[in-house]
Parts: sequence; C-alpha cells; structure tokens
Amino acid sequence: MTTPKQDTAATDTAATDPDAIRDWLLDRVAFYLERPVTDLRPDVKLVEYGLDSVYALTLCGDIEDEYGLELEPTLAWDHPTVDAIVTLLREMISGNR
Amino acid sequence: MRHAPYELAAEFDRRLGDPSDAGRLFSHARCAALDDREEFPQEICRELDVLGLPAHYVPTEHGGTLRSYEEAVQLMRAVARRDLTVAIAHGKTFLGAVSVWVGGDRDQADALGAEIAGGTIVSWGLTEREHGSDLLAGEVLAERVADGYRVSGEKWLINNGTRGHLVCLLARTARDAGPRSFGILLVDKRKLDPASYRTLPAERLHGIRGADISGIAFADAAVPGTALVGPEGGGVEIVLKSLQLTRTLCASLSLGAADHALRLGTDYALRRENYGSLLIDLPQSRRLLALSYADLLLAEAVTVVASRGIHALTGELGVISAATKFFVPNLVEQAVKRLAKLMGSRALLVGDTHEHGRFQKVQRDHRIVGIFDGNSVVNLHSLVNQFPLLAKSYRRGTVDAAGLTAATTLTDPLPEFDRDRLTLLARGGCSVVQALPAGVAELTALVARGEVPESLERTAIGLKLAADELLAAIAAQRPAAVDVPAEAFDLAERYTACFAAAAAIQLWLRNRATVVDGPAGALWRSGLWLEAALTRLLGRLRPARPDGTDDVFERLVEPLVAQHEAGQLLSLLPYQQQEARR
Repeated sequence: MTTPKQDTAATDTAATDPDAIRDWLLDRVAFYLERPVTDLRPDVKLVEYGLDSVYALTLCGDIEDEYGLELEPTLAWDHPTVDAIVTLLREMISGNR
Repeated sequence: MRHAPYELAAEFDRRLGDPSDAGRLFSHARCAALDDREEFPQEICRELDVLGLPAHYVPTEHGGTLRSYEEAVQLMRAVARRDLTVAIAHGKTFLGAVSVWVGGDRDQADALGAEIAGGTIVSWGLTEREHGSDLLAGEVLAERVADGYRVSGEKWLINNGTRGHLVCLLARTARDAGPRSFGILLVDKRKLDPASYRTLPAERLHGIRGADISGIAFADAAVPGTALVGPEGGGVEIVLKSLQLTRTLCASLSLGAADHALRLGTDYALRRENYGSLLIDLPQSRRLLALSYADLLLAEAVTVVASRGIHALTGELGVISAATKFFVPNLVEQAVKRLAKLMGSRALLVGDTHEHGRFQKVQRDHRIVGIFDGNSVVNLHSLVNQFPLLAKSYRRGTVDAAGLTAATTLTDPLPEFDRDRLTLLARGGCSVVQALPAGVAELTALVARGEVPESLERTAIGLKLAADELLAAIAAQRPAAVDVPAEAFDLAERYTACFAAAAAIQLWLRNRATVVDGPAGALWRSGLWLEAALTRLLGRLRPARPDGTDDVFERLVEPLVAQHEAGQLLSLLPYQQQEARR
C-alpha cells in the first residue's frame, strides 16, 4: 500500500528519531489548525481537532516532501492520530535503510 | 480534419433526426411541450436506448462501447444541445454506474455493464436532506448483519431516485463518522422487499422541470453483502475519485446548452432587423454575439483538454476536474446571460410565439449544471486545499510532458483509462497550468517568425505575468484547514482562469497545423480563436482598457457567420449539424 521512493529528502539520523518526527508533525498540524502546538496531543484523532479529511491529504503531501516517501494520500484516514502516523513513518523509514 | 469523437457525436445526432421537424421524436416542439407539462421525457429516453446510448456509459472492458471519455463528452453534448432535461435524465445512469467502474470488482462491473446495455436505469444516492455537499455527515446507515446489510435512512434530491432500478448508495457502515466509515452499496430496488423502502415525490423545479429529482427512503431494507462496491470503509474514497470523472463530464452539459443558446442568438441576429439594419450589423449586438462565440470556443477547448486529460493526465484529475467544473458552467452561464440581452424580449417568451420558448428554457435548465456534482464553492474549496502543491509545482515547473502532449494533441491516440492512476492527491500539481510559461515562449517564437500577430503575443505575455503573480499569491496564502478566508476562493477562481488559458494555448499549439480547412480553419489560422479566448481571460485577470486599434472579436464574426451558413456547429472543429438551416 505504501511504497518507499528512491530519492531521499531528509532521512538523516534525526529524522528516524520518533520524537523528532512527532514534533515536526505536531508543528505542521498546529500550523494548519492555527493553534499553539502545546494545545495538541499526539494520541487524539486529528478530525477531533477539526482537521478535516480532505485537509489530511495535504498533510500527506507535506510528509512526502519532508521524508522523501511516497504515501497513500489517505494515510491520515487510516492512521488518524499523530502517534499512529509516526509509528507508520518509523517503520517505513527504517525499512528503507 | 476529421476528429473521431466529433464524428461519432455528429453521426448520433444524424440518427436522432432534425430537431426542428416536429414529426421527430426528439424535437424542439416535443421538448417544449414536456417541459410545459413538467413531464419526464420517457419516449425520448427510450429512443436514446434504442439508438444504443446506454452502452456508451459502459467501458469496453465491461462489454460496452465507451472507448474514451472524450467520446462520452461529445455524445452527451449532442444530446444536451437538443435538451438538457433529456441529457440529465438519461445521462444519470453513467453517474450511477461510475463508482462501480472506479471501485468495483470485475464481475460486478461486467454484470452492471450488461444491465445498463439492456436499459436498466441507475441512480446515484449521495446527498441527504440535511447534508448537501457534506458527504461525511451522511446518516443513511448500512448495518452489517449475517447475510449482508440492513439499510435505513433517506437520500434526497436524487436524480432518477424514483425511476432508477438500481441505486448506487453511499451509506455509513460504521457508527462513528469519519472518512473510513462509509461504504458503497449497489442496491437493486427490484429485489428489495417493497415494504422496506419508498420513493419520495419528485420535487418541482425551476429548470429541467421534467426530470425525476426525487429521493428514496429505506426502512431496514435487506441488501445482500454482494452489493458492496469496493472495501467497506472505501466509500468516500471511491466517491471522491468518481467525482473527478463526473465533474469533468459535466462540462458536456454546459457546452450543449451554450451550443443551443448561441445558435438561437445567431439565427436571431442574422434575421432580425432593428432600425433598418440586421442585428448582426449593429455594433453592440454584433459584439454580444462575438463575445459569446469566443466564450463557447474557450469552454469547448477546456472541455476537450479536460476530457482527454481523464486518460492522459489521470493523476492530476483532482485539479483538472475541479477547475473545469467551476470554469465551464460559470463561463457558459455568463455567455447565455449575454445572449439573452441580444435576444431582448424573445429570450423571455414561453410557448410557440418564438422558437418554442427555447431560449428561456435553456437558460433555466442550465442553472442546475453549476450546482450538481459539486457546486462552485465545493470546487473552489477543493482547489484551495491543493494550494501548497499547486504553488510548489508551478515554481518547479513540473510538467508531465507525455501526458500533456497526449491530452492536447487531437491526432494522438489516447492511452487507455487506468482507474488505478486516479488519486486524491495530485502530486504533480497541474501540468496544464505549469506548462503555461513554456507555451507562451512557443507563441513568442511564432511571432518572431511572423506566423501569429503581435497582439496575440502581447495578450499571452500578459497572461503569463498574471499567472506568475497569481501563483506567487497562492504560495503566500497561509494554508487554513478550518476557516478558509474569502480571498482564497478568489485566488482559486483566478486559478481556473489560468487553467483555461493554459489549456487553450496548448490545444492551439498542438493542432494548429491540422485544423486548416473551411470556416474552422479560419478560426485556427493566425491563432484567431486563441487570441479571442486569451483576451477574454486577460480581461478577467488583469482588467485594463481594451486595445482600440484592433478588435479581435470583430475578426471572429466572419467565421461565426460562415460556420452558421454552412450548417455547421459553432465549434473549434468541423461538425455538420442535423438541424435544418433557415
């Protein structure tokens, strides 16, 4: 369902660190929602914060750019929290090494 | 030049006979009478069945005759040109089926293909009374039981909701709302317990008055598990992909309406005398007509590129379909409104006094096209959501060169449509728009060789600057997931104008050497139609005082009259019309 792409944009050591991925992702979500990042919890569903399903597609585009991966656009539909996305990304990035 | 989809549509039109002959089944007289009585065009639909139109809704791989979506667009345009009510009433079966072409398995699709070819009517049950465009708010519930589903709830404002034999239903398969909480069920009403559903009365309408826009309510209806299309939870994804196809195809309805209205306007301008002159010789009327012709040609160019894009730029259809569905119906609505000014009181007459009251009918009927399958706001919003990608791809100049060439070169065969290339995220942005700078550079080179006038170059360069500014503004737009500011919609609207300009430029460049004969050839020579289209668009994007020394719209009048006098469709390509000339 998700296929790693050949070119790697930012797969340095820091990028595979789950905390770093989580922080980056929370920052993105906070940016879209125009809310302070401290308001957001990684285990709460993004839709509950008002990030609608269509906007979740845009988030997918950001992640692809940042980590040089090709993902299913519906990523955030199937992995609805920041934590769930981080888990998936870690698996993909380490699988890609 | 002979272009296969146009030839196919012209042949279909020929078999329907001359619509001005009241003895024909699909005549203007009958359509007016049916509209007057708010009656469904049943006999005409049956005639379309007999002539094999339903098989054109079914891809060849599933036993039908739908070879390309470009053909489907031109066929539907031919039907819509006669009567929008009929086109919407009959074409609905395609909309009902498309989710199965996009998300169904082979057996399902083959079986549905056979049904449709045999005349089965399919409707598409998406909207509900309390939730129009907000599909995720849908409340119709499909509860899993041992042998399938129990369906309850109401779908409302459903085209052919009553007449349809099958209804392709978007229903909640999970209690929690979310993008993975919906499935699609292809419900066979003929096999339901009659006590478990009822159809709702058709609503009375302002336009397409004969259409069956009704609804259906289910009460614990038992639906077999085999009715599920795609995976449970895959409903929203399949519908969003299907809408990429149907939104593109909707342009055919607008084109048909524009064909109809412009023909009425031209007929009138060539016959009606005011103040001792024919209307066509009065500057203001002449200009209204020429502007409307320019709009129609632009709408046609965009539709041709978009419908070919279904095959050639499939991964970018999320952008193409939204831009097309906004741009074409809106442009046509303005053109029809302008033609109404030309027609004066004749545009308002109902009944037999003037042309069976066709003008007011086409104007009323067309209003719906801007609304269904995603209204203007929905389509612009969809573009706003894609702003970051669109800005980035424009800056990088990403172009799928092979896809763009196939989408715009009419003599090139189209690749097979591959549903697996449909995606909700257009990673490449929009090649058509991103090729605008290169297209303008090509035009500049042609000016240097003396092949096109400098006025075209000035207009094209103006558009390129407008596009650069616009995409910079889009890049600077802060993404907003929750409250989208009004100016973002304005930017999206302007983006659709850039899309139209870029599509027109590519279409002209790639076919200017092929369309050379007859009145259509005169439109292509020296980039005449392109210059007219781009002048219209530049006027929208960067309003400025018009160039008084050369009026490109004045130059359009000659080919307009020539096409009309030759009994041809007012079109970018030669197309002999069935309707008798007066």
